[in-house]
Amino acid sequence: MTNLIRVGTGESSERASVLPVLTVRVDKDLETLVNKFLARKREDLDRAHAALAIRDFETIRRIGHDLKGAGEGFGFPELSAFGAVLEQAAIARNERALKEQLAAVEQFLSRLRVTFR
Amino acid sequence: MNSATLKDPEVKTATPSHTAPAAPATTMRVAIVEDDPSQAELLTHWLELAGHRCHHFDRGEALIRALDQESFDILVLDWNLPDISGVDVLKRIRASQQSGLPILFVTARNREDDVVMALRQGADDYMVKPVRRLELIARLEAIARRGKHRAEQQEILELDVYRVDCQTRTVMREDRVVELTAKDFDLSVLFLRNIGRLLSRGHIRETVWGPNAVVTSRTLDTHVSRIRNKLGLTPENGWRLAAVYRYGYRLEQLDAAVPRTPRTAER
Repeated sequence: MTNLIRVGTGESSERASVLPVLTVRVDKDLETLVNKFLARKREDLDRAHAALAIRDFETIRRIGHDLKGAGEGFGFPELSAFGAVLEQAAIARNERALKEQLAAVEQFLSRLRVTFR
Repeated sequence: MNSATLKDPEVKTATPSHTAPAAPATTMRVAIVEDDPSQAELLTHWLELAGHRCHHFDRGEALIRALDQESFDILVLDWNLPDISGVDVLKRIRASQQSGLPILFVTARNREDDVVMALRQGADDYMVKPVRRLELIARLEAIARRGKHRAEQQEILELDVYRVDCQTRTVMREDRVVELTAKDFDLSVLFLRNIGRLLSRGHIRETVWGPNAVVTSRTLDTHVSRIRNKLGLTPENGWRLAAVYRYGYRLEQLDAAVPRTPRTAER
């Protein structure tokens, strides 16, 4: 059975979308590293939103660059893909694309459930 | 601009293969220069699982400073660093007394001209992030095999009047067995495998006593002095085991006609 979670948008519950949980299995020996990695990426997401508000594209470029480099190694190729797009959008100073992409990363992280085996 | 999107909302993704690689022929002391802490932790985890010892630097200048007092078997180097670029780090190392340090670039920069520039500036190999674990380890070990400081556990070294058998852990000098303690044997092998190479005290300590051992400088000096005497590593015999102030030691062969790299013989 698919677990359902509500994407935290801060908007009214009527507008919030309901999406299935994305379960990712990760090797047990990476548990500590993966948990730290995901916590850091959530912090990066907050930093990226703050940077976008002041049009600090270089900070977002670096965040995207690091995400691109590290995501797949931890077992999340989607994050590497998000990172690559974020980096390019920051270089292009494309605010609309950045907003969309940050929302996509946020949604991915909110849906993610990691199990360790 | 295209968005990266999920292909399947319910897909279950597995991590990359973490099958244990074969045990390395030798443990390497690896310096990692990487400013992303997650990436550094992952690389360290992978390499330590493969039997190597890692030292992490989050800035290029921090590594450059460390190289004044430390030596490593190989360097894993990121390109985009907060203080100086990886290419600048590479250039400075190649112009320094540690110019022979093998260097593997690991970077998210994937343009062909970046790869070409790094290799032309003297990088030994180049990998684009995200890297795969087994490939990273295989490339590092391949670079080490190509290096001059190659060392294998099951080998016999024959150098000048010395014959070292790493399986029976014996050293013979002019066909006579030299009585050595276990640590003195390990220390002798380390120097004889690295003739002409400056080894830092930290490098020697880690290799001979292990990464967590507490060994005073005096203890290390005592062991060095002992093998110098027992093996006759003195100028009158054509050798010098020289102390380098505030750094470490270097074993030098004074007879220039003899090759610098140890000759190896199969059992």
